[in-house]
Amino acid sequence: MIRRILDFVFILLFVWVCMILGLWIIDRVIVPMDLSGMANIYLSAILKVGISAFLVLMWLWIWREIVKRSFWHAMKTQ
Amino acid sequence: MSRLLLNETLIFASGFTVSLVSMPFVIRTMRKKKIGGIDVHKKDKPFVPEMGGLAVLAGTTISVITAVLLLPESSNTALSFLACILIAGLVGAIDDFKNLNAKVKPFLTLFAGLPILAMNAYNLRGIVFPFIGQTRMTIVYPFLVPLAIAVTSNATNMMDPFNGTMSGSCTVITIFLLLSAIILGRTSALLLCLCLLGPLLVFFYYNKYPSKIFSGDVGSLSIGAALGAISIIGGLEVVALVAFAPQIMNAFYGLSSIGKLYERRDVSRPIAIREDGKLMATRDPKAPITLARMILARGPLYEKEAMLLFLVISTISGFLALVTAYLIVVTT
Repeated sequence: MIRRILDFVFILLFVWVCMILGLWIIDRVIVPMDLSGMANIYLSAILKVGISAFLVLMWLWIWREIVKRSFWHAMKTQ
Repeated sequence: MSRLLLNETLIFASGFTVSLVSMPFVIRTMRKKKIGGIDVHKKDKPFVPEMGGLAVLAGTTISVITAVLLLPESSNTALSFLACILIAGLVGAIDDFKNLNAKVKPFLTLFAGLPILAMNAYNLRGIVFPFIGQTRMTIVYPFLVPLAIAVTSNATNMMDPFNGTMSGSCTVITIFLLLSAIILGRTSALLLCLCLLGPLLVFFYYNKYPSKIFSGDVGSLSIGAALGAISIIGGLEVVALVAFAPQIMNAFYGLSSIGKLYERRDVSRPIAIREDGKLMATRDPKAPITLARMILARGPLYEKEAMLLFLVISTISGFLALVTAYLIVVTT
């Protein structure tokens, strides 16, 4: 029972820590980024949103991979 | 202070009492009219009446009316909350009788978010994040409101695999949202949590293993919409997202493994029952990887044990939600 709970605790903690870390990176790194070469402010804003969206997609993809692998690993070791 | 506490107690007690009184009536009526389903995770496959969500809706409605009478200044938030859950409940009731398809149901639940927009019952500036603080999302945020209600209501609807899992995990989430509202000083969220908590406690009592009644989509969609509405009206979006993690995980795993929106009856069953009554995860690669299937991946369990595990996972994500609320307080 403990082992099953720990499986989820690890995934939950990973997802939560990544979310908090991602928010921090967006706030402290991506938003203040100085894209001085960029002439158009809209283009610069779109680029920042794009980088943030890429981070979110990476987060979801890693989350999905962890779940898939841990599920089939647990099924095999049953 | 003591008067406010008395009012809040009355709001909680009115919903609790109405649900407590109406639930046996709903059970008897549904049994008599043969509205229900087979409990597929029991060996003897008993018939269990459905649409217990009607008693939850009745209790929450009375709680909200009590709140409007006792605290008239909160009538805008309380009535938008009520309208939201009634629309979601109506969609659920239609689905209980007509079996809406997997795309129509989420689309219809989008409309449940409209009363919150129409009555301006949300934070017009946008979401408050930990570290970032108050964001300015005046244009984007109104579009996210109906989407958030559709996501919470359908994610709750998808996570009802065992007796008591939906009602139990939603009760746990409501308790942690209530505690977060206290930490963050969000009075409207506190009030709405009290309106929902009484009926949910009653429903959990009747829905826990072995279930005397199922929620039906009328219950799961309206309870999910209620939790979404609390997070938007009360300004607890990020906290609710964390507390809601098991439901989001379940929906996300299911959708990503199937690759599209689906109805339970349209896909292979992820769980099977063994001769000894224990539940086991199937090895069918076409079945969705749901949270229930993941719980059973390490070996078979009795339904009661699986239900308890769901509640433990909900409690853990609830504690993470409290930490998130604390982070919002200290970092913004």
